[in-house]
Amino acid sequence: MLAHLHTHEFGGQDLPAAVGGRTGQRPVAADASTPALKVIVAEDSELQRLFLCSLINGLGFQAIEASDGCEALDLIQTSGAQILISDLKMPHIDGISLTREVRRLGLPHYVHIIMVTGADEVALRDDALRAGVDDFITKGSSTAILKARLRTATRLIAHADALAERTRVLTETNARIQDDLRAAADAQRQLLPTLRDDILGVRVASAFVPSAIVSGDMFGCFELEGGKLGFYTVDVSGHGIHASLLSVAIGHLVTKDFFQSQAFDDAGQPDPARLARVLNQRFSASDNDDYLTMFCGVLEAATGQLSFCQAGAPSPICISETGEEHQIGDGGFPVGLIPNASYVTNTHTLAPGSALVLCSDAAGEAENAAHVPFGQARLRDVARSAAMQDFRTLPQAIVSALGDWRGGNPLDDDLTVVVFKRTSNND
Amino acid sequence: MIKTLSHDAGVTVVRPGAERLSAANAKAFKDEVAQLIESGSAQLVIDLSGVSFVDSSGLGALVGLLKKIGYRGDLAMAGLNADVAQMFRICRMDKVFKIYPTVDQAAEKMADAL
Repeated sequence: MLAHLHTHEFGGQDLPAAVGGRTGQRPVAADASTPALKVIVAEDSELQRLFLCSLINGLGFQAIEASDGCEALDLIQTSGAQILISDLKMPHIDGISLTREVRRLGLPHYVHIIMVTGADEVALRDDALRAGVDDFITKGSSTAILKARLRTATRLIAHADALAERTRVLTETNARIQDDLRAAADAQRQLLPTLRDDILGVRVASAFVPSAIVSGDMFGCFELEGGKLGFYTVDVSGHGIHASLLSVAIGHLVTKDFFQSQAFDDAGQPDPARLARVLNQRFSASDNDDYLTMFCGVLEAATGQLSFCQAGAPSPICISETGEEHQIGDGGFPVGLIPNASYVTNTHTLAPGSALVLCSDAAGEAENAAHVPFGQARLRDVARSAAMQDFRTLPQAIVSALGDWRGGNPLDDDLTVVVFKRTSNND
Repeated sequence: MIKTLSHDAGVTVVRPGAERLSAANAKAFKDEVAQLIESGSAQLVIDLSGVSFVDSSGLGALVGLLKKIGYRGDLAMAGLNADVAQMFRICRMDKVFKIYPTVDQAAEKMADAL
């Protein structure tokens, strides 16, 4: 039928014997292993359309005919085609309106749009670009130019597909990692002591806030023999997953039995420095720079006598019943940093009704938007006013105050707050 | 990131090149100074006068460097501000490192000891 028609539009070439779509010519894929890319051809002139489709099929694509913009829009949605070649002037909706509609569709893949313009329609190219057209081809261009345009489109589509696949893989992998981390965080929380409100007449409250799902902090609290309360807090250097490996190891190691056997001297007197020494020996050998700061203590419930070892942890705040506060301890070597470091057991008496507040250094170091640290003074204020009202609210009061200070942003470091209150004579 | 200056008598002064020595850059700092040590500069003074904040990772890196130098040489620190000095005290790092108010004093003491 159309075999010997010459066209004036496209370089005067002969039409191939069979035209794709009408006479059953099958598109030959450019590469035998990949399916031919679909190209929607929106052109109201049947002659132009058929000729364009045959060229496109000949180049290894699969041309899909659309006789106007509406048909093209439908086909875009149903065929999954990623290339659209559209004439500028068509009835119902023209090429520019069609482009706007395609962009508005919000399809999951990008549609590369090539506009066919007459030589006299170049002025409309600006409008076309604004509407979202990617490329142009002039009527009368050679097959070589059409080939080049389609090649560009193919390259861009391959690139977009590769990117989409990479994103999909990354999203899936990230989701899996987050799930694993949450499982690890749960396992870590299982290690925390289930604190009864009242242990041997000493009230206990705490807050455990990892900075990034898992925490490099750990703490423990045990009812020991002879009316004594044993406890420790630990803060591994750095934070994040590698720190949490060590903090969890400590959590597993320092059980009630371990504490009972290691935190007393040979005469049976409380000696938390001994526990620090033992842990230091155990964790000093590592070649990496991980270490931990620790505060561990034994509190005799009946007398309020506290024996403690401050291994580089911040000095706890002691708040009396009447609101006077001071900090106890002036420091000590961390654990796992210096082999053969010496540790000292000090003592302090906790008066009835007074509270002891242990807080990891994340609190004092928390910076607001102006990079001003929260500092010890503010921390002591928050602790004191909460202690005077209801000490059980103290850990949360600190967490909230820090949240406000940070403008709602999470802390950069892991936070742990443990509070002990010795029952008052009035209780 | 670090900047080095050769002082008299074979002492090298190292400036971290960052206002904060923390988890974000502690490893890079340590690796760079370690390279310095390996290439033979074992008398080091770390100039912390431009550093306003050192966290546990930063401290770990500094101690790691001290261990690395070992018997090869010596490591001293100078110019600690109040907050950093306080942090060092709480961890007893003032017993572990030689700490001086200024780089010159540190370098002088180090040169004397050689």
